[in-house]
Amino acid sequence: MIETDGLATAEKVLSSAQQHGQGLRAVNEKLADLVSALRDQKERLARYAQAGGTPPPLAPDAPRDGIAPSEVGERPAPAEMSFARAALEQGRREHDTIRERLAEIQKDNERLCEEYAAIQQQNSDLVTLFAAMERLYGAAGRDDALAAIQEIVVNLVGSEELAIFELSKDGRRLLPAHAFGLGPAELRDVAVGCGTIGRVAADGVPFVAADGARAATDPPRLTACIPLKLGERVTGALAVYGLLDHKHALRGLDRELLALIEKHAAAAMRTSALREAAPDRPA
Amino acid sequence: MAERAEAPKGPAAPPQGDPAPAAGRRKILAVDDSETVLLVERSLLSRSYLVVTAKNGEEGVAKAIAERPDLILMDVMMPRMNGFDAVRRLRSEPATRNIPVIMVTTRSEAQNVQTGYESGCTDYVTKPFDGPALLAKVKSRLPPPRDA
Repeated sequence: MIETDGLATAEKVLSSAQQHGQGLRAVNEKLADLVSALRDQKERLARYAQAGGTPPPLAPDAPRDGIAPSEVGERPAPAEMSFARAALEQGRREHDTIRERLAEIQKDNERLCEEYAAIQQQNSDLVTLFAAMERLYGAAGRDDALAAIQEIVVNLVGSEELAIFELSKDGRRLLPAHAFGLGPAELRDVAVGCGTIGRVAADGVPFVAADGARAATDPPRLTACIPLKLGERVTGALAVYGLLDHKHALRGLDRELLALIEKHAAAAMRTSALREAAPDRPA
Repeated sequence: MAERAEAPKGPAAPPQGDPAPAAGRRKILAVDDSETVLLVERSLLSRSYLVVTAKNGEEGVAKAIAERPDLILMDVMMPRMNGFDAVRRLRSEPATRNIPVIMVTTRSEAQNVQTGYESGCTDYVTKPFDGPALLAKVKSRLPPPRDA
């Protein structure tokens, strides 16, 4: 829509500029004729000046060159000069108008380019979020749902170290359910309420480390810890450690992806487990 | 890993307006063991290109020979055959020798980039990739039809 309006406006201005251009061309042709007539007159007068005496008037049927016979020698040159000046002044005004219009079009064009780039980025972000959601809810079973969470964190957020915890039946401990890129020391049970991961499970509030503050977390190097929720009930947690070397910080889209995992991962795990348990039911 | 639930055939890409007619569209082969990445690539590219997919290097080579795509997006870390080996195979096959390959990977280290180019890839994109940047790279090699 924005592109259509911008193009329509550009086309109108171009058409207007073309009409002005044609007007200027007509004025220019008239001025050329006038200059040619004045040049002929000058040469004629010069010839007679050399020969002496006054030049005869133009014959009645002689080419007019825009000058009436009765006015030969009488029509004042200043009238034509003033016509030429007025035409020139009008041409200059039209030229300035066209230049201003072109500057406006250029500004509009720059604004449209910025808007287009922003829309393109927004579209790409929506595609990413859609793909993450599709992948989560398309999982065939619990293991596939855990793999989906891993894929989202590794490929879309940009970390190759993560652990997924599930709440124990008594609700007191977080048990490691899945991990990628971590050593055994990082795959221990976590008491709810203890350390950063335990607090996230207790409060249900996500944790995202500010840039450079990952060393202060418990355990260290935590980039983010997200509660996994069924509705408002916390059923587990996702811990993300570090980031890929070329990725320096979490962006807005990353936070949206983590929010999507927070709200939907647990439900996706539950539905995929049910689907796996009842394979004969229609999807 | 359990088989995924039976999903509707074909990519479930979000609606993005009318795509260019299939006859006029160039073909891209996306090779990645991550279904999520394939979903993103399909959704970003399917409006302007015909996208076919493969889930590992071996399948990718077979599909490239069968489908003769105009461009290949190749992951590196994959089971059965990694991306570097897949590109070497493609470069040794007459049918696929000249197909441009863009490596799409989480690995950004200089050594990996060098290995990629030595194996025969044409360009390199790191994950998580920026959608417009990937589109721009693809379009620079495969300009889409004018109405796409």
